[in-house]
Amino acid sequence: MSDYNLIGKRMPRVDSRSKVTGKVRFTADLNLPGMLVGKVKRSPYAHARIVKIDTSKAKALPGVKAVVTGEDTEGVKWGVFAYTRDQQFIQMEKVRYIGDEVAGVAAVDEETALKALDLIEVEYEELPAVFDPLEAMASKGPLIHDDFPDNINVHVNIDTGSVDENFEKSHYIREDTFVAAEESYFQAEPYAVVARFDEEDCLEVWMPNGGPHMKSKPLSNAFKIPLHKVKVKKIAIGGAFGGRSEICPVDYICALLAKRTKAPVKIQFTREENTIATRQGHSMIVTHKTGVDKEGQVLARETTCYMDGGAYSSTGPIATSVPFLSMEQAYRMGSVRYNGYRIYTNKPIRGMIRVHGRAFACGVDTQLDMIADHLSIDPVEIRLKNSRQPGEYTSTKSQVSSCAMDETILKAVEKSKFKEKWGKLPAYHGIGIGTNSVQTGFPMGIRGGSQAFIKFNEDGEATVMSGVVDNGQGNDNMLVQIAAEELGLLPEDIHLVSADTETTSSDPGSYSQVSTFVGGQAVQVAAKNCKKRLFDVAAKILKVEPDTLAAKNRMIYVKDDPEKSIPIKKVVRIALLNFTSVNAQGGYWPKVDMKREWVSNPFGQMCEAFSFGTTIIEVKVDPDTGQVEVLEATAVQDVGKALNPLVLEGQFEGSIAMGGQANLTEYHDWKDGRVLNPTMLEYKLPLACDMPPKINNIIVESVDPKGPYGAKEAGMSIAMSAAQAYAAAVSNAIGVYLDSYPLTPDKILAAIKKKQEEEAKQGAKKARVN
Amino acid sequence: MRLPRFEYLEPDDLTQALDMLASHKEDVKIIAGGTDLLVRMKNQLLTPAFVMSMKQLSGLSYIKNHDDTLTIGAKTTLADIVDSDDIQEGYTALAQAAERVGAETIQHHRGTISGNILQDTRCIHYNQSRFHRSGRQPCHKDGGKICYARDEGDRCYSTYQGDMAPALIALEAKVVLSKKDGKRTINLSDLFTSDGFHPFSIEPDELLTEIILPKQKNNSKSAYQRLSYRSAIDYPITSAGVMINSKAEKIKKARIVVGSMSRAPLFMVKASETLAEKSLTDIDAFKEAAGIAMDNAGTFAVHNAGSTLEYRCDMTFVMVLKALEQAAGIEK
Amino acid sequence: MEKITITLNVNNESHEVLVAPNDTLLEVLRDQLDFTGSKESCGEGVCGSCTVHMDGKPVRACLTLALEAENIEIKTVEGLANGDELSPLQQSFIDHGAVQCGFCTPGMLMSADALLNNNRQPDEATVRKAISGNICRCTGYAKIVHAVAHAHNPHQGCCDCNHKE
Repeated sequence: MSDYNLIGKRMPRVDSRSKVTGKVRFTADLNLPGMLVGKVKRSPYAHARIVKIDTSKAKALPGVKAVVTGEDTEGVKWGVFAYTRDQQFIQMEKVRYIGDEVAGVAAVDEETALKALDLIEVEYEELPAVFDPLEAMASKGPLIHDDFPDNINVHVNIDTGSVDENFEKSHYIREDTFVAAEESYFQAEPYAVVARFDEEDCLEVWMPNGGPHMKSKPLSNAFKIPLHKVKVKKIAIGGAFGGRSEICPVDYICALLAKRTKAPVKIQFTREENTIATRQGHSMIVTHKTGVDKEGQVLARETTCYMDGGAYSSTGPIATSVPFLSMEQAYRMGSVRYNGYRIYTNKPIRGMIRVHGRAFACGVDTQLDMIADHLSIDPVEIRLKNSRQPGEYTSTKSQVSSCAMDETILKAVEKSKFKEKWGKLPAYHGIGIGTNSVQTGFPMGIRGGSQAFIKFNEDGEATVMSGVVDNGQGNDNMLVQIAAEELGLLPEDIHLVSADTETTSSDPGSYSQVSTFVGGQAVQVAAKNCKKRLFDVAAKILKVEPDTLAAKNRMIYVKDDPEKSIPIKKVVRIALLNFTSVNAQGGYWPKVDMKREWVSNPFGQMCEAFSFGTTIIEVKVDPDTGQVEVLEATAVQDVGKALNPLVLEGQFEGSIAMGGQANLTEYHDWKDGRVLNPTMLEYKLPLACDMPPKINNIIVESVDPKGPYGAKEAGMSIAMSAAQAYAAAVSNAIGVYLDSYPLTPDKILAAIKKKQEEEAKQGAKKARVN
Repeated sequence: MRLPRFEYLEPDDLTQALDMLASHKEDVKIIAGGTDLLVRMKNQLLTPAFVMSMKQLSGLSYIKNHDDTLTIGAKTTLADIVDSDDIQEGYTALAQAAERVGAETIQHHRGTISGNILQDTRCIHYNQSRFHRSGRQPCHKDGGKICYARDEGDRCYSTYQGDMAPALIALEAKVVLSKKDGKRTINLSDLFTSDGFHPFSIEPDELLTEIILPKQKNNSKSAYQRLSYRSAIDYPITSAGVMINSKAEKIKKARIVVGSMSRAPLFMVKASETLAEKSLTDIDAFKEAAGIAMDNAGTFAVHNAGSTLEYRCDMTFVMVLKALEQAAGIEK
Repeated sequence: MEKITITLNVNNESHEVLVAPNDTLLEVLRDQLDFTGSKESCGEGVCGSCTVHMDGKPVRACLTLALEAENIEIKTVEGLANGDELSPLQQSFIDHGAVQCGFCTPGMLMSADALLNNNRQPDEATVRKAISGNICRCTGYAKIVHAVAHAHNPHQGCCDCNHKE
């Protein structure tokens, strides 16, 4: 039994009251005095040279306060890495996808701003465009970026050696190719930015972000102003899922318009803009070749992956690597060779999304099921045979400390009654299992650590300052919960100041599953440091040694003699009267291999902890329509330690929706570089009635030695394993291994028909033989 | 998303409404529930000079049971139709169609029967924002000469995706079109022109005021089936409304109507006729009829409504068969 | 195109507003009256984030002309609580962890509130149907369904129904 007050408890989130009353403000809800409406002129062509831009008519329109084009910029090219700087914030020479930014306007109202967009005359010279990554690689036509031959943006090559020898030794080898269309984030909140320059010429800016410090640096570069003059402000954020990680050109455009007009400017994206001009998931073609021994243990694997990266680099090197990393963390492999190519096309920009590579992950697990089938062992056995064990190293030399992968598999199997159901379900009724692993953080160099600051107020309450951002997943609550636990306060005694670049120190951001592990831990360290100061003062008053003290319910007390106690408030006041400060800082830097680099050196310690998850899905397929009814989902994850099961379950359930259910319906449809389904009507997000009526959540706690209270990451392993489990369950129901995602009814029906035809043919053949 | 500018008209009664239509003709668009019209206007597919509200025309909201007919006022909401026992029992297909429009708890309180019937044809290449449609030639429906859904398409192949009309046509509905100096009653099927650019035969000065459903002789049952990728807020990618009149377990008359496969709901004459004098339990006959309906519908459909064309055709068979089985009372 | 002054009755208070015919109810609520609880997420009546009540029925404010909302009782999420006292539904959302990013929450609450006004003890299938016009990207809906079903009807087996003592 733990003796925590708050850790491990089902704690309702501190931010939920302002959300259920409608009082909380998201960026688009801000209304500043004198605020102008900004709009962005975008390229209607997939690939074209900009011949001329004439803004004179737009500028002459009454009510228009500013029009900006690439000519008004410093011409700085942005890229997450030094070797991927390929995107200007406003294009000057060339546009590379339908939606590329060419100009911005600020006007007194939306109608005027929209009219001004129409009055900006852009003369284009259309260039041949390419939309298919394999074609783009082979293309002899003009390059999308002159300095990237064959339109290859990123090539990640990982080879552990001995791959060919191990294939030689293999008892059974399979090679299969899997494909997946691109999925999209569809955050509830469409992207929005509000910017203004304050009286000291500091840029104040509000926008949904995956880390405010990831926004301030490129803005500081682009405006050539010091970092302290860029104030990215805290604001409620309506979901990110990896799609809010970087600078967005419109952050800069909005700020530039604010600078020009000396007024606050708000730019609100339409749903279509959010789809085409923020980020999308990568579509991909993946070939896995796997060799196993007689027992089904993987001796060698070779994976080649072609990813459609769209027009610019974005987080390309990371996105090209993470699908592989998840696989190598989840499964032991005797040897492996990986070639991942991210290819430029004239399509919207692709980024990191909740399921890192549907074709990749589903491919690995589907192929394992095929191998198990061939060897006559069941899907659970083959997973247990290859599953990651604690203390081992991954293929790229990351040590895995805490790991309860087997326990997640076994618990999921037990809860779902997998063994009782496997092979025994009625026709068109299926069950499937998926397993995966997600890293808690990446090496992020200078921004890899998080720092926190805590100050006590004279009333005994505390202010906690942290750079961690809350995208909706509950990070604010997590920070408050940790601070309150450590300081012996109640959650309502904590005031949180976070995700604000003016007041809070840098933090890795919330897009690499690292907020609790690093940001939460920084708060824990700061709180411990702060508590030590209080204990030093209290010890003198109570006439005991500081290490005999504990704090709880606003009191400091002697552990062995709880009656002997003093209110925290009193300690704070006495400390201040005795010239002792009652604040403290703390930080946490994960011990990763700083020499590890995505492309040039993909070996070494990746992060300190890894989560492991298993999802089992049971489905019924309608053989007439190919439509899938999901009967039950079981989600089991090794989270290290559950800080707040209420929040964790919410992450699991959301992961079943966005990772799993999405694998039935979500994809983008195209015509010549245009997204045909950019809206919520045509892009089929799951609704309440589409979801399984029952989701079993099981939390496994391996208690990570490095994580705060043993915690790792929450929910991402479920998102990925859910995608796999949905694929496995549908395949099991129809008796055909599906290799193209998502599993839309038309594909399922086609597979059923093909199977029936083949069976009929074989039946006829048999009849002839007889 | 901002609506384009227009003048708002709010007639107090039907007479005034018809006067306004007579004077503004094609410059005016009628807003009932707004769920179809306002989205089109936001996308600037339409920029009418006038928008006329039905808000005050409460006299057009009714369901009346007469000796030979059931009449429904044009402004009757989908929720009222679903809630009507007369419709649930006597015109099941219509209730089932209404139930499947949009999301039950939202669109149903604003969406009206006439608004649903008169919703414009749709196409995944046309029902897009103005930005999406820029940078390429306008399509037929957009006033141009190109079809993006069908290579070399010489006309507009947009698809009629309303739910109510296929059910209503199966039920032999008529509609009353009123104008300043009179009114006419036509078969609902004649309201459709089969022209994707101009899908309705209603004149600009006419208002659809009433839907008339005849009372069927013999034992009459109807059903509506539709397929979409999502459980709600989704247009069908194919649908079927059917009615079966029977006497002593023998089919006397059947009407099969396929929706969402063409510019108009398709009344499947041949498929319907094959069912005459067949037994109510003759599944092979139902399959044959569904097969004919699928083949006929397949000649009209183009790839413009999500999913694959092949799948939509296949599903037409399934929807027709399911609707027939349901109407015949032999649901699986 | 002339602007017209109309009176909107929002959350039992009258507000005089000057509106253009092409102003939607959502724009007027958010931009003029600062009722920013109602959100624009899709702008085309699909996602349900802008759901408000008109005479007690849930409707999409993004597809309602402001002019058409005159003389109708409008209720927004800001009108659910009685002063500082949350409605049982709001409290249930908090207790059950039904709120994540919170962007869909106001619309979700309005659809659920309309259901509970007619049916205080809905089963889960009824709740799912009632919120099928509201898209949530974060939660997978499970906790929202529980929060609505248990709002007036605490379940013994539910560990989130009773942790408010």
